[in-house]
Amino acid sequence: MLRFIGGILIITATTGAGILYGMELQEYLEKLLYIRHIIYMIKGELEYSSAPLSEVFGRISARVREPYRQWLGAMEKQVENREEDAFLKIWMRSVDKYLKELHLKSEHSIQLKELGTYLGQTDGASESRNLQLYLGRLELEIEKVREGMASKKRIGNCLGVMGGIFLVVLLI
Amino acid sequence: MDVNRKERQILCVLARSVRAVVEDAGLDFGQVQEIRMRIAKPLIVVYNNEERILPPIQRDREGGHIVTREEMRETLEYVSHYSLYAYEQEIRQGFITIEGGHRVGVIGKAILERDRVKNLQYISSVNIRVAHEVAGCADKVIPYITKDRQVCHTLIISPPCCGKTTLIRDLIRQVSNGNTYVKGCSVGVVDERSELGGCYLGVPQNELGMRTDILDGCPKAQGMIMLIRSMAPKVIAVDEIGSPEDIYALEYAMQCGCTLIASVHGRDMEEISEKPVLSDLVRKKRFERYVVLENRNHPGEIRAVFDQRGSLLCCGL
Repeated sequence: MLRFIGGILIITATTGAGILYGMELQEYLEKLLYIRHIIYMIKGELEYSSAPLSEVFGRISARVREPYRQWLGAMEKQVENREEDAFLKIWMRSVDKYLKELHLKSEHSIQLKELGTYLGQTDGASESRNLQLYLGRLELEIEKVREGMASKKRIGNCLGVMGGIFLVVLLI
Repeated sequence: MDVNRKERQILCVLARSVRAVVEDAGLDFGQVQEIRMRIAKPLIVVYNNEERILPPIQRDREGGHIVTREEMRETLEYVSHYSLYAYEQEIRQGFITIEGGHRVGVIGKAILERDRVKNLQYISSVNIRVAHEVAGCADKVIPYITKDRQVCHTLIISPPCCGKTTLIRDLIRQVSNGNTYVKGCSVGVVDERSELGGCYLGVPQNELGMRTDILDGCPKAQGMIMLIRSMAPKVIAVDEIGSPEDIYALEYAMQCGCTLIASVHGRDMEEISEKPVLSDLVRKKRFERYVVLENRNHPGEIRAVFDQRGSLLCCGL
């Protein structure tokens, strides 16, 4: 009886791990989608109001959830106080500090940081094009993550169940 | 405006190394008129009507502090709040107005598109002109430009750096608040370059009176018509008129029953009478008063006040 209960518990645990893996993949996709949503908002504000970056960040930070709210709010203050000699430094430091908990893959983090190179440096039309360029790249990344996700989720679920059964067989 | 506040507003737009040089010079910001930066040239401050070349922090070097390209770039980052695109229109016109209404003139290589300046690049010179709010500087002139406690259509004529913006700002404040000579009334200000109100995030940094509505950053010609339709002001004030569109809108506003207070670049009445479009208004006697400024001893000296016929009402105030 004890063996049976132990076996059930092992299979449940490994199945749960497989499901969790799938959920993490889903969450990561949602993070990328939310970043895309924020960049679209930045682009919209720049095109509509042509307001300085501090104002743009301030307005958007009030409309987004944590940790993005803190990230944009901190950048608003730093830009307002002119804390660095170049905007790129503020952007890079803020991404590192406030978006660390998102655990972005290095390529996604690098792409996001690169966006800071262009922000605020050119005229309105070029700013818009640069943001669109980044959004295009992000779109591709999102597609890649989305494409792989379904199969990875299935594999995760199957491996969870099968791994559990395998363990139970081994142990019995 | 509080001198410490003014000092903070100016220092925060300077590159850190330039800021250190200016701080080291121990200047009284109430007396600073201009800070001129040119790449590979000494840093110059116009202080109390005199030019001063500021020495470098390390006194072992001869001459003044030489401005570097990196300092220029850093200054522009601060002036534009790291957002050059937001000041595209202003840069095209050659200046950016910063918090406090101070004007930062920029000069570099012009990028042309269909024979019009599209933008500036390789900015090589920056001139920070410190805005001065002198409350009461219009006291002497106000008795001459009012009749039955109503302000007359007034044109302020002045060469650059003679204090016309400061005078017009104080006039707006006095007309808006009212005093012995003029009954307080609603004043509409079209502040195309954000110099009069010095608006920052929509809030005027300079005191323009309790009945003043400011249309900030709007072209004068368009702004005057918008103001008439939206706020129905008794008096409209605009700075530095010049283009034919401005003059047309000015005349339109006068015909709508608004009283105009405007300023224009010029040395004297004769010069204004010869200006292509403005001369029409002078001939039609649209303006009832002309105030001519000069800067012989200090900015804001009133050389003369004329009526619509060109008769001298007073001089050397």
